[in-house]
Amino acid sequence: MTRRSVETVGLTKAFGGVVAVDDATVTFQDGKINALIGPNGSGKTTFFNCVTGMIKPDAGRAMYRGQDITGRSPHRIARAGIGRSFQLCRIFPRMTVLDNMLVAVRTTSLRAQLANSHNRSDLDRARGWLRRVGIDHLEGVEARNLSYGQQKLLELAGVLMGDPETIMLDEPAGGVNPALIERIAALVRQLNKEGRTFLIVEHNMDLVMSLSDHVVVFDRGRPIAAGPPPVIRADPRVLEAYLGV
Amino acid sequence: MPSVSSLLRLSVVVAGAALALSFPMLAPNPYILSAGVVVASYAVLSTSWNFVGGFTGYISLGHGAYVGLGAYGTGLLIIKAGLPSFAALLLSAALVAALAVPIGIASLRVRGASFVIVSISLVLILLLIFQSWASFTGGSNGLVVPRPFPGLRRPDHHLVFFYLFCALLAVALLSWWVIDRSRFGMGLKAIREDEDKAQSLGTPTFAFKLLAFVASATFTALGGGLYALWFGDLDPVFQFSILTGAYMVLMALLGGVRHLFGPLLGALVVGSALEYFKVEYGSTQLHLVATGLLLAAVVLFMPDGVIPALSDVYNRLFRPRATSIREATAAELRSQEEVRG
Ligand SMILES: Nc1ncnc2c1ncn2[C@@H]1O[C@H](COP(=O)(O)OP(=O)(O)O)[C@@H](O)[C@H]1O
Ligand SMILES: [Mg+2]
Repeated sequence: MTRRSVETVGLTKAFGGVVAVDDATVTFQDGKINALIGPNGSGKTTFFNCVTGMIKPDAGRAMYRGQDITGRSPHRIARAGIGRSFQLCRIFPRMTVLDNMLVAVRTTSLRAQLANSHNRSDLDRARGWLRRVGIDHLEGVEARNLSYGQQKLLELAGVLMGDPETIMLDEPAGGVNPALIERIAALVRQLNKEGRTFLIVEHNMDLVMSLSDHVVVFDRGRPIAAGPPPVIRADPRVLEAYLGV
Repeated sequence: MPSVSSLLRLSVVVAGAALALSFPMLAPNPYILSAGVVVASYAVLSTSWNFVGGFTGYISLGHGAYVGLGAYGTGLLIIKAGLPSFAALLLSAALVAALAVPIGIASLRVRGASFVIVSISLVLILLLIFQSWASFTGGSNGLVVPRPFPGLRRPDHHLVFFYLFCALLAVALLSWWVIDRSRFGMGLKAIREDEDKAQSLGTPTFAFKLLAFVASATFTALGGGLYALWFGDLDPVFQFSILTGAYMVLMALLGGVRHLFGPLLGALVVGSALEYFKVEYGSTQLHLVATGLLLAAVVLFMPDGVIPALSDVYNRLFRPRATSIREATAAELRSQEEVRG
């Protein structure tokens, strides 16, 4: 029996006439590496944005571990345990690498909020994650001066700093070189072994098939197939969506 | 262990404070002393503006609203409610803080140019209200605010208020510094860079912006209220002026909004220039043109203000061997690519 991670029921979002996500009912599994694939413009990013509260869906519900999170603001969803990256890597360009990490520290009391941001325990944790993704030697550099690949690693480290149980990555391999893709894939596997759930939007089919336990396929805003990689690979509807046969 | 640069910084701060505090002794006449009070009040206002403008990047051109509310609040509480001067000042600032909550909730929903427009419209609305509600505010005839120390002669009056403004400035600077180094401040600076990203990392961005906004409005109101007690005569046209807000923006941008002392430095330069213009050319519109040109020049050529520009020059002249961050990075990037390559 698998526990449910993110799930949606009838999720719908239209931009003007374009229905980006169309009555999507899907379930992702807790503790697994889930993938969300589909042709360009099939609504994957919009789906992510609806689940993480960045945009409000027109209809339907989004749940996380059985809890309704529809319409909650993004910071509350983040604090519920869902971290996310963005398709076009978003970091804080004029902050140092280390400060980028410290933004993700979460505290609730006013006292803790007014404490020095460069305190020992936060710094140790930030440096730990930077070391883990392999950019700890750049901690004093302004983030805008990193290469695109390094920025992607920084974004991932920043998400991890928030200690999310579930991590949603929007095209983690997009625009990075093969060696770095391998590094990111290895990291995802490791983090998953440590108990973190992943939801990954990805175009690189080899990566998706080798990495994931469960794949959901979108076509024109609708889920058309779901299952383990071998099943998806053989599904005629998936081939049709991709090849337009 | 304190580094050389932090010792240097500390000694500059101490020297600056000593110079500021000895200014009344050095001022050759009461007129210069009163100009010093004006400049000190500008320093308070621009530093207050920087709580929201500097940390979050929300540019308010309408901060004159809180100057006016703080000033009229103080004056009216003394005249209509019979409160002692400084009790009126504090209560007035508290009322402005309370009022800043709904104003912030309404205006902080929009970003960029829209926020600028909303902030301007608030000043214009308040100007209209305070002009037309003459029975209560005195309207264009002005409101005479009783002096807190009626026995004091004019030079001593200036002297006392110069120190009061310096004390308020010290409190504002200290608060800004505490926020700047705090986790809260890190969240605010993240909002300046990318608000949605900050929120996706769990920062309650709206609450953070609102807190900074209320702090900013409150310090601005204290500055306005203290001005009312010093100057003693209020006119809506000057109190609720877009120009006041524009000065705050110019001073903060010129000095550098990312630096604790940026707005203070900007106020020293712009404030002194404005007072000088007033003496040399009287009340012409020349200072308006100068303000506009200077603002454009700063935005175009020194978007980070003079402090980074000056420290660049300092680094180039006195630390030729220390590479800048950017150069170091380029080298690091290259070695990185080699490792990966
Ligand atoms: N903010 C937006 N405004 C208007 N249309 C949008 C917006 N975001 C996405 N879309 C449209 O919605 C559809 C789905 O886009 P998206 O979710 O980005 O797909 P994917 O991530 O699968 O490539 C596309 O047709 C796209 O043009
Ligand atoms: Mg996308």
